[in-house]
Amino acid sequence: MKGLIAGLVAFGAYGIVQACVFHFMQVSRRALMLVLLWIACLPLYWWLFRALPDDRAVWLAAFAAPADPVTFLSGGLVYFFLFVAYVNVFYTAESSVSVRTMIELDSEPERGLTLSELTRRYRYDWMLERRLRRLVHAGYLIEENGWYRTTVRGRVAAVALSWFKRLLRLGPGG
Amino acid sequence: MLKGVVLASTGFMLFLIVHVIWFRFYVPRQRFTSLVRLALTVGMVVVIMYATTAPNLGVLPALYTRAGRGADLLNMLIVYVLLFSGYCHVYFLVDRGFSGRILIEINSAPGRRLRLQDVAGRYSMEMVLRRRLNEIQEIGRIVERDGRFINTRKGRTAAAVFGFIRRFLQLGEGG
Repeated sequence: MKGLIAGLVAFGAYGIVQACVFHFMQVSRRALMLVLLWIACLPLYWWLFRALPDDRAVWLAAFAAPADPVTFLSGGLVYFFLFVAYVNVFYTAESSVSVRTMIELDSEPERGLTLSELTRRYRYDWMLERRLRRLVHAGYLIEENGWYRTTVRGRVAAVALSWFKRLLRLGPGG
Repeated sequence: MLKGVVLASTGFMLFLIVHVIWFRFYVPRQRFTSLVRLALTVGMVVVIMYATTAPNLGVLPALYTRAGRGADLLNMLIVYVLLFSGYCHVYFLVDRGFSGRILIEINSAPGRRLRLQDVAGRYSMEMVLRRRLNEIQEIGRIVERDGRFINTRKGRTAAAVFGFIRRFLQLGEGG
């Protein structure tokens, strides 16, 4: 239980710090900030694991685990995968077109909106430009005089994505 | 603790294999709902495996299998759920990722290059929205009445929750 609790508490602390940073500061490089804060809270996990009392002193025998490397690793996995799950939620809030659509529809809760009314509410060029800029920044694309070209990394990613889509028969997606 | 971690990882591998075979040879209509149902079914199989196997699975070192059953089982379930949730992230990226689609469009163009307006021409805002509207309609977050799309209660809740996160974390207009 020690590993689980240390992982959960460390992630809780990460969540609070991250929320405060994003609420009170205008963060421009969001992905980097999310990762850096997660790394900054890693020592807290290690400290909590060491500081928490031995399971046998607190929990029933069925819920007691020795403080060995496997327990430490299990708690670390919890801390890592909670972060992965949170990143999923974060980017759903930040970038998801579906979420934006529901928020737009919420402005007309009774009447709703037609497809063309919804389309007019989006700045499509801005949406595309934002994604292209991120892809350039991450090294997947190069921009040359208004043309976007895939780099080696971009080609590998595009081929891998297409392969997964074909394997699972997901259609063109996007 | 090791038994739970091993079984959670084995269960997750089993889930992946069945998922790939299923999606490859039989295209489910509601894909994500099917994925969740499959993960739940495999999760139950893993719990049964946990209950019916030896504490060291016959091969694990005794040193790392001394945890109480409750702690081990709980740890196993958490690791399994979190592995699934991590996979969902990858799955959404492959299935619905807008940036991924842009990358594929550019990579498949002559000379592997496109301008912004070319990307917009190949994948219009209306196409993006139509696809999203179908998806959120399938999971019951909106309904269509006389060509107008309206949030259901589920849709209103999602809009309120994500709207709050977006405002609180200063994430801008998004989309």
